[in-house]
Amino acid sequence: MADKGNDPAVIWQTMIGEMEKGFNAFANQAMSSPEFSKAMNQVGGATAGAQKQLGELMEKYLLAMNLPSRAQLVGMAERLQSIESQLNEIKALLHQVHRNSLAPEGGYGATPRPPRTKRPPSEGEQK
Amino acid sequence: MNAAAGLDFASISERVQSEVQRAIQRSIKGVEYFSTSGPSLGSTPKDILAVRGTMNLYHYRPVADEIYRVPILIVMATTNRGYILDMVPGQSFIEFLLKRGYDVYMLDWTAPKPEEKSLRMEDYVLDFIPDCVRRVQQDSGEKDVSIIGYCFGGVLSLLYGSIFHDGPMKNLICFTTPIDFREMKLFQNFSDRRYFDVDRLVDSVGNVPPEMILSSFEMLRPASRTVSQVQLWENIWNDEYVKAYRMMDRWGTDTLPLAGEYFRAITKDLMWDNKLYNDTMSVGGRAAELSSIKVPILHAVAEHDHIVPYDAAKHLIMKVGSTDKEEVMLKGGHVSLVAGANAIKRLWPKLDSWLGKRST
Repeated sequence: MADKGNDPAVIWQTMIGEMEKGFNAFANQAMSSPEFSKAMNQVGGATAGAQKQLGELMEKYLLAMNLPSRAQLVGMAERLQSIESQLNEIKALLHQVHRNSLAPEGGYGATPRPPRTKRPPSEGEQK
Repeated sequence: MNAAAGLDFASISERVQSEVQRAIQRSIKGVEYFSTSGPSLGSTPKDILAVRGTMNLYHYRPVADEIYRVPILIVMATTNRGYILDMVPGQSFIEFLLKRGYDVYMLDWTAPKPEEKSLRMEDYVLDFIPDCVRRVQQDSGEKDVSIIGYCFGGVLSLLYGSIFHDGPMKNLICFTTPIDFREMKLFQNFSDRRYFDVDRLVDSVGNVPPEMILSSFEMLRPASRTVSQVQLWENIWNDEYVKAYRMMDRWGTDTLPLAGEYFRAITKDLMWDNKLYNDTMSVGGRAAELSSIKVPILHAVAEHDHIVPYDAAKHLIMKVGSTDKEEVMLKGGHVSLVAGANAIKRLWPKLDSWLGKRST
C-alpha cells in the first residue's frame, strides 16, 4: 500500500479537517464580540418585524384572491395533528382500560411481563 | 530507485482503480440517495401510555426474561426528538437497555402548538415530569423510578429532583447537562441582555421557531455543515457511512420549536441570571437547589462537547447533595456521547455497570 502521508485522499481529508477547524475557530472568535451580538440581534429583530408585516400583507392578498393563506393551512395541519393526538390519547386510554380489565387488582397490567428479579452481574461477569 | 523514493507503481495502480470504482459508485449511489428515504428510526416496539399536548410518554416493551426492579424514565431535551436514543437496531440505546434487562419509559416531546405558547417552566417541572413519574409508577407497579435526562432534559430532571427531593426518584443520570450558563459562551453572547429583546421576540412570534433554534446550534460550528456534505459526497459509495449520516442529519435538523413562555424563562433565569448555578432558582415559587438532591447521581460529559462545554457542566457533581455521585468524562461530542459507535463502546456499558447495581 502507498504511504498514508503520500496518499492524496488522506492529504485532502486532512486539509478539509484543518480548514473546518480553522474556520470554526475564526468564526467563533468573531461571534464572541459584543458587536456581533448587537448586529445579529438588530438584524434578527428587524427580520422578525419585517416577516410579520409581510405575512400580514400576503394574508390580505390571498384573501382577496380567495385562496387559503399559509396560516390557514398551518391551522388546518394543526387541527389534524390535534385530532391525531386525541386519537392517540383514546388509543392509550383503551390500552390502559384493556390492561386494567385483565389485571387482578388494577395497577400492574396482566399483559405478561418479565419478573422484576434481575440482579446485576457480578464484577467478574461484566465486560 | 522508485522504491527508494517511496513510489510503488502497483499500489498506485490499485489506488487509481479503487478511486475510479468509487467515482462510479458515487454517481450511482448519489442518484439513489436522492430517490430513497433514510432508514426508519425509533422503531423499537413501544406503547404510548399518555399524550397530553407536547408531552408523550412511551413504554418500550421488555425483551429480557427478567428485568430490574426499578424502571427507568428517560427525559428528552425539549429541543429535540427522542429517537436519537433509538436509532436503528444495533445502534439503539433503548434496545441496549432493554436487552440488558431494564424496563424503559421515555418522556418525549412534540412541537408545542401555537396555543401552547404559554407553557411555562412550571408546566414542565411541576406537571409533565411528575405526571409521567406517576404513570410509570402505576404502570410498573414500582414506587421507585430512575431518571435519565439528556442535555436540557437533564436540567429539567435536576429541577424536578431538587423540588421533589423526597419523591420517588431513586437514581439520577444526566448526560451533558449544563449548570453554569455563563460558560456557554456563544449562547451567552447571542442572548446578551443588552441587545437581545426576548420579550419582543416571544411577544411577536409566540413559540420560538425551530429554524431559529437550529441556526443557533449550527452557528456554533458554522463550517461543519458544509464540510459534512463534502464528506458525504466522498463517502457516498459507503452504505454504512451514508446510513449513519442520514440518521444523524435527519435527527439534527428535526428540531422542535420552544414554547414562548418557557423560552423566556430559560433566557431570563438561566442564561441571564444563571440561577441554577447561583442556587437562586425557583419554579412556581418552589426553591430548586441542587444541594437538595441526595440520590445516587451519575453525570456523563463529553470531552469535545461544543454545545455544552465542560466548564458549563463540571459543577453539577460538586453542587448536588448526594454522597454517591460520579462524573465520567468520555471521548466524543454532544451527540456522539449518547448515539453512534462511540456511545456503544463507551457510554452505554458504563451506564449499565453503574445503574444495574442501583436498580434492584
